[in-house]
Amino acid sequence: MTAAIEFHGVSKRFRGARSGYSMARDDLVAFLARRNREADGVHALEDIDFEIPQGQAFGLVGDNGAGKTTLLKLASRITYPSTGRIRIRGRVGALIEVGTGLHPELTGRENIGLYGRILGIPRREIVRRFDDIVEFAEIGPALDRPVKQFSSGMQLRLGFSLAAHLEPDVLLVDEAIAVGDAGFQYRCVERIAALVKEGRTLVFVSHNMSAIEAVCERSVLLSHGRIVRDGPTRDVIREYLHGVEDRLLATDHSQAPSFDEELELRSVALLDERGREVDGIEAGGSLTVRMSLHATRPLKRPIVEIGIADGRIGPLTMASMLVDGAVPDELVGNCVVDCTFEDLPLMPRVYELWGGITGEAGVGNVLRWQRLRLFRVEGEVAETGLAAVSQTLTKAPLKTSYTWHVESGLDPRSAS
Amino acid sequence: MTTHEPSILARDSLPVVTPPVSAKTVRDIVGGRGHLSLETVQEFWQFREVQLALVMRQLKVRYKQAFVGAGWVVLQPLIAAGIFALILGRYGHVKSSEPFFLVVLGGMVGWVYVSNALTVGAESVVANQDLVRKIYFPRETLPLTAVFSGLVDLLIALGVLIVVSFAYGIKPALSWIALPLPLLVLVLFAGAGALSLSALNIYYRDVRYILPFMIQLGLLASPIAYPLSVIPARWRELYAILNPIAAGVDAIRRIVIEGTWPAPGTTFAALGYSLVLIVLAAMLFKRLERGFADRA
Repeated sequence: MTAAIEFHGVSKRFRGARSGYSMARDDLVAFLARRNREADGVHALEDIDFEIPQGQAFGLVGDNGAGKTTLLKLASRITYPSTGRIRIRGRVGALIEVGTGLHPELTGRENIGLYGRILGIPRREIVRRFDDIVEFAEIGPALDRPVKQFSSGMQLRLGFSLAAHLEPDVLLVDEAIAVGDAGFQYRCVERIAALVKEGRTLVFVSHNMSAIEAVCERSVLLSHGRIVRDGPTRDVIREYLHGVEDRLLATDHSQAPSFDEELELRSVALLDERGREVDGIEAGGSLTVRMSLHATRPLKRPIVEIGIADGRIGPLTMASMLVDGAVPDELVGNCVVDCTFEDLPLMPRVYELWGGITGEAGVGNVLRWQRLRLFRVEGEVAETGLAAVSQTLTKAPLKTSYTWHVESGLDPRSAS
Repeated sequence: MTTHEPSILARDSLPVVTPPVSAKTVRDIVGGRGHLSLETVQEFWQFREVQLALVMRQLKVRYKQAFVGAGWVVLQPLIAAGIFALILGRYGHVKSSEPFFLVVLGGMVGWVYVSNALTVGAESVVANQDLVRKIYFPRETLPLTAVFSGLVDLLIALGVLIVVSFAYGIKPALSWIALPLPLLVLVLFAGAGALSLSALNIYYRDVRYILPFMIQLGLLASPIAYPLSVIPARWRELYAILNPIAAGVDAIRRIVIEGTWPAPGTTFAALGYSLVLIVLAAMLFKRLERGFADRA
């Protein structure tokens, strides 16, 4: 299999004075000191090695600043590697940021011609494709206005339309399409999929994990300019999302014991079904939350509430003594309050545990409603849908069983 | 729960049509500094239509401001030559065998071209940062756009010189066929200047401040408002070679105004020297080019 893109030991460093002009003086001093100013610069990418076979849909995953865009800019020759070697086979169409490939002073029509020439496409081919490009970009009436007068949406649409229609062998697409409206994004993904089906190579950068998972068969996870994982997209996405969660858990500051005037929350522990202390549970398992408290003076008929949230506002579910009426008569001295959630139907990911205690009848905060700690629901994604991993790990948190029933092409009379 | 196809693209069931990619579209990008090579020239040729499009745009922008835009190309050398001829001709006691206004106009035709190409060329990469950061094309097309689009102005100005010299009673001569020679000298020299200044301008703000000063100095240091014969005879040739503007302008004067052939030794030496300069400038440009998109 021939590779469309090869990166061999590619590193990219930016010079010390990264933005703006440097001083001739500084460069002169560096030159006299025989110092390479690039060497003490910022590392954007380090020792990148991979090959993308022709026709592969390839995803780039990673945090902001991990080097994804720099990598695309290297492949499109907008910027150059400090060391290493890159080999590209065929024409490259790039949509890296809004307005990529567009000349602001030229009209939409002139830009279509110019871009085609830059890609080395014969004039008749451009003429043949012209209407498709204009139609896809939806810029009709603005075609003969300079691109700088276009809205960013129009620039984006024209840029994508150009990159996607002028027969690129390799298509580089960055986050940019996320700027477009929903309808345009849909058509972009559709167009990208069509190009890949035709056997063209795609390199796709997005923070939309579902889109990456649905479109790309293979991905690379970048972290601080290095490749930390290269493999099937769903594995890479799982690793990436787990990494994000791990960092969330590592920086969880909500476990500090909390003091209120009358009640001290000494600790919050999580217990599994067998009463062992754990940091998380298996998907579908039961979870016991154990609050250790110290009441400085007797607390009559306190209302304890514990909730589970997924980061969005408000808890997903809640155990409340106001609801079930299981109110203890009194809390005094050292106390333990256990609450067991049976068979939690949660998708595997990290959740927040919230809790609070109010006085009798739910009035007056004894222990302010607060985030107590994070916990993880572990589990493998067994489903095989297009974006099963990213959907399960990031979208709706509740797992329910359901079935589909679809009928199509129904007779309108019988349907009513 | 129903299971779906494992991929939206269902590649397993689809025959993969790999588009034919010819061997010549394989591109190797090697890390480190850029350098001038045969590939540079090949690629420039490959992108010739981009160069053409950029030149056309430059001309369109200039001449779109219709009457005045085109008018200035005629007026600029005429007015400048008029002022210098008036001041230097009357009070400067410059000796010249030919009508002094015509001599200065001949100088101005070349000078206006070179100084405009340098001024516009030096800013070209900085002014097009937007383009440089968003799309690949050989960056030298930017400064060269100034050099090529200025050629149209140069030809118009040359036409003005010829018309004015007719008014002075000068007849066309066979030597006019040699005109491309001095023009080539000026183009190469302007190209060398535009390439190196545009690249340096990305890295050092100093260029912006030094250039107007250099242009002023150049006007005095070149035989524009005075004939080459002002320079002492034994330095004249060396001076005209090392400052190719002098050789170019002197050749234009000889050809159009005197109706004689340009000094062959000086002209060809200046041509060779300008060639060396533009190669050196291209080497500098290619060496600095790779950092263009990372700055600004």
